[in-house]
Amino acid sequence: MPSMKTLPILQDHGQPQRLSGKPGQRSLWQSIQELEGRSSGRAGEFAAGAAEVPPELSRRSFLQILGASAALAGLGACQPPREKIVPYVKDPKEDRPGKRFHYATALALDGYATGLVLAASDGRPVKVEGNPLHPTNQGASSAWDQAALLDLYDPQRAKGIWRRGQPLSWRGFLAEVQKLARAHDADGGAKLAFLVAPDASPLLAELRRRLSTRFPRARFLAWAPATADHAAEGARIAFGRPVDMHLRLDPARVLLSLDADFLAGHGESLRLTREFARHREPGAEMNRLYVAEAAMTVTGAAADHRLRMRPSEVAGFARAVAAHLGALPGAEALEDPARDRAARVVAADLARNRGRSVVTAGERQPAAVHALAHAMNAALGNVGTTVVYTKPVLGDATPTAAALAELAKAIQAGQVDTLVVTAWNPVYAAPAGLDLGALLAKVPNAIYHSLRDDETSRRCSWRVAASHPFESWGDARARDGSVSLVQPVIAPLYESVNAADLFAAFLEQGDKGAFQHLRDYWQARSGLQGQAFQARWEGWLTRGLVPGTAEPADGPALNAAAVAAAARSPAPKGEGLELALAPSYGVFDGRFATNAWLQELPDPITKVTWDNPAYLSEATARRLGLADGQVATLTLQGRSVQAPVAVMPGHADDCVTLALGYGRSDGSATSKGVGVDAYELRTAPDAWFAVGLGVAPGKGKHKFAVTQGHLSMEGRPLALDFDAQEWAHGHGGHELEAQRGPVPSAQPPVDYSKEDYKWGMSVDLSRCTGCNACVVACQEENNIPVVGAEQVAKGRNMAWLRIDRYFAGPAADPQTVGQPVMCQHCETAPCEYVCPVNATVHSPEGLNEMVYNRCVGTRYCSNNCPYKVRRFNFLDWRGEVPAVQTMLFNPDVTVRSRGVMEKCTYCVQRIERARIDARVAGKKIEFVQSACQQACPAEAIVFGNLNDKASKVARLQEDARRYDLLHDLGTRPRTTYLARIRNPNPDLA
Amino acid sequence: MSALFSPRWNFLSRLSLVVVAAGAVGTLVALWGYWRTPYGERLQEEVVQPVMFDHRHHVVDDLVDCRYCHFNVERGASAGIPSTEMCLNCHSQIWNKSPKLEKVRESYFIGTPIEWVRVHQVPAFAYFNHSIHVAKGIGCVTCHGRVDKMPAVTKVASLTMSWCLECHRNPAPNLRPADQITSMAWEPPSDPAARAALAAELMKKNDVQSRVSCTTCHR
Repeated sequence: MPSMKTLPILQDHGQPQRLSGKPGQRSLWQSIQELEGRSSGRAGEFAAGAAEVPPELSRRSFLQILGASAALAGLGACQPPREKIVPYVKDPKEDRPGKRFHYATALALDGYATGLVLAASDGRPVKVEGNPLHPTNQGASSAWDQAALLDLYDPQRAKGIWRRGQPLSWRGFLAEVQKLARAHDADGGAKLAFLVAPDASPLLAELRRRLSTRFPRARFLAWAPATADHAAEGARIAFGRPVDMHLRLDPARVLLSLDADFLAGHGESLRLTREFARHREPGAEMNRLYVAEAAMTVTGAAADHRLRMRPSEVAGFARAVAAHLGALPGAEALEDPARDRAARVVAADLARNRGRSVVTAGERQPAAVHALAHAMNAALGNVGTTVVYTKPVLGDATPTAAALAELAKAIQAGQVDTLVVTAWNPVYAAPAGLDLGALLAKVPNAIYHSLRDDETSRRCSWRVAASHPFESWGDARARDGSVSLVQPVIAPLYESVNAADLFAAFLEQGDKGAFQHLRDYWQARSGLQGQAFQARWEGWLTRGLVPGTAEPADGPALNAAAVAAAARSPAPKGEGLELALAPSYGVFDGRFATNAWLQELPDPITKVTWDNPAYLSEATARRLGLADGQVATLTLQGRSVQAPVAVMPGHADDCVTLALGYGRSDGSATSKGVGVDAYELRTAPDAWFAVGLGVAPGKGKHKFAVTQGHLSMEGRPLALDFDAQEWAHGHGGHELEAQRGPVPSAQPPVDYSKEDYKWGMSVDLSRCTGCNACVVACQEENNIPVVGAEQVAKGRNMAWLRIDRYFAGPAADPQTVGQPVMCQHCETAPCEYVCPVNATVHSPEGLNEMVYNRCVGTRYCSNNCPYKVRRFNFLDWRGEVPAVQTMLFNPDVTVRSRGVMEKCTYCVQRIERARIDARVAGKKIEFVQSACQQACPAEAIVFGNLNDKASKVARLQEDARRYDLLHDLGTRPRTTYLARIRNPNPDLA
Repeated sequence: MSALFSPRWNFLSRLSLVVVAAGAVGTLVALWGYWRTPYGERLQEEVVQPVMFDHRHHVVDDLVDCRYCHFNVERGASAGIPSTEMCLNCHSQIWNKSPKLEKVRESYFIGTPIEWVRVHQVPAFAYFNHSIHVAKGIGCVTCHGRVDKMPAVTKVASLTMSWCLECHRNPAPNLRPADQITSMAWEPPSDPAARAALAAELMKKNDVQSRVSCTTCHR
């Protein structure tokens, strides 16, 4: 047995154990209750009532079901009806039954596209994958990209075209729009307005240009709940014109984030995560990240130094750092001496890394902070190496917060007769105090184009169902400007309209079709004809990229005086607490609230699902007399909402953070009534934080559906981390030595070296940011059901891959370690010995196989699994799947029913597909990726053949940072971990 | 007053208990046995198809290779059922006025597919792949029988798991040369030594493995 005393150990129960001895060793804890010794874990790993049937299943209905199953069992004695085989009438050229086809396309979120590859089987897309050729995501994909597939097959999508409650055919719609358009011709479209979603699509920009030629007086406004107004204004201050700032993290050694969550969110986070993660291995090239923020974010959790401060204090901190760097004349000392010292140390570290550092400001920060970041980067000589400027990619569809106010004014003045809305749900997400719903009702022809019927469609006289991007032709640009063609992989499942067709209808070209518009536009742009263009067009479609379309670097001149003047703007003052708003990691600004995968996705930090608690620090909660889960009344400028509070470790004091996008009053059953509507407190149009929040304890207690407590690993060395300095001096090495290597076992050893393949996985905790992309990718690949908040609270979450998150250090300002845990595929698997029906067995290649059709549901395997990675179907989650949703299922993976155990299979269906393809061709498997590995932007998960000594996974198993989870149990897991290394600044210790 | 039940009722009540118990056990045994009868396995069962397609005629008289219609058998999991268009490749020229082909022409011109009735069906949790079996030297006839003698296709192999495993445990006797995959009449050499030599040669040449781990078929 290795000595467990020498390792940082998770203490699940009671008082956290303080470990003496070497530096950097501390106890890890999962929740505040646990740290305070109030752990509910003592009661057992499963929540109370986890084994009970839900209350809606009464004895009577149980007996009914029992009767029905008895009747069905009786029928079973007869022969089942024979299935039908329905072949094509005419064979499509490319399709073959059961074969996977991959189509390159793109998916834009608020205008910025990710290059994707859609895997389709029998004519239906079944998996979203990143396009490896695309520069902004390089094969990775985000949780949002993955979850788009669930939206495609959602039976609750909007359908058809409706005018004042009456359905219209597409032809009828075109005729009506033609009438409208001709009526607006008279005054040049003075009473015509468009409220569009942000987009960088060259085709849509061209259509808008043609629309403004026909209707020169028409209004074009672009809007989204989360705008980049501050960044644009900051660039205007610093450079006199708006520019896009791009980070290049490969050469960067020191990074300062001023409230910027650049490792998550949309835009370029996938590329940034990859570049950041590549330099998280110990050595000379390791980077160091400082983050100044209030609520803990994915970026903050990845930081080496997290500087906890309220959002309004970030500007002061930025000024201090800038002054130390000489980017700002004069110096002011910060009130807080610790923060003043931090500013000095950060500035010195940045200055030591001239040309190899990055300062980035978050969108929530005011323009002055963005201007300061530009000035600091200029002073540090980073421009051209780690920071590149380009012309803005969004162009005329750049969303502004002011757009809604302008529209409201025009409607009030009676200047809008026809309004076309393609922006997402403005009625729900409008700032509090602007009753856009009432105004829209006044517009005679308000045409709302949306994927779903929501709060806005109720107020608009026309509803036009939007086609899903996977059903539409179009184009999109990534944040670096690269153009991707968007190609449909399936015909529209419901009667719906493409955005390009909608705009073209106003040009009286609606029947031409988006495909023809797109092709004509690009043919004109390429200047090629006939076969030459066709060849190029097909090349673009195949690669998913139009080469040479990235924006070239721009060299704007910095106006230091303007930055200095803007930096003097006073910090917002006021009594009371501070409210910070943030897009949610699950539902974003609310547009994914109808997506059950994203609702059930645990928050990367707090592991809360199906909710947006009001997060505050422990000290603030204590000062206000609030307990975890207690409902409080949040009041800001006379508006108030009731929200349950939750303590977030590491949250800034005197500040409350609330995620946007919850508390929908309309939408689907998935979104309605989940969480609290934070937009009701968003009084100013572009406000991300405000001072003057009142918090009053209310009555009532709320139970959050959290995935963290019930999966504790009972006090063993789990997620291990070391400081770079101690690691460099050899500390940690011998501790990890004890966590790998042979363990005496009663089992006779199995020789796997003779097999062609010995599958294994490596998870690098240094690289992992906990972004959740792998979790959704696994859910999509393996037909994993969603169980709902009530069942999550009972510990019946079905995710095969979970990301555990441990805190270390004081609750006020802890460090975090994230750890993805899936089936470890133990060579001597404890689950296998206890299965009475041999439903879980070992393959010759070392896979721990789960045979669903043998499983009788004793759950002995789950009880005996030390990693707690097995998931049991307590209920029939697939009882009534609408026909359209059955198309979502991966045809290569069995859909499990009630009473069956399941768990990570290392994507065995992918292994077998690769094996069959290779063996039919007479070769060995050359390439196979697990779904989690494929999605991971950080390249933290590596899967492969351990018998191939040249493979990456085999090399990583020899790494000095490698260790096995719960090594002393002798399970010999095939999944191994690489310890996390932090790179703290010794001057800031 | 005499007793309500005479003593002989004792025997009858005991007998009825035995009958009930024996009946319950007997039913289970009968069901268990039933699934192992050709009827339970649906062997040789006549299946009425929407079009009276005769494999016997196409294979024997016209010498059409299996792979002409079942085009996907070497490339994918499913062997492929021919599209209506494929039927009309020939039948637009020959028998193009035959009333028996009315449904085929109707399907082609109206655009509604022909709904064939499935004869060979494995459970949804078993993932069978044609291409790998063909590539390793398993002939059509091994599982589907003498289709060239079937006016209407019937099932000849049980397709139960034990039947699959028989070959998966010891594939050698069922292998045939690559050029004989679709042959209906090919027989291995009658001489046991030659037969064993051919099997050994094919095992090596085709890199045939005995694959019996669960995930080979169940995923």
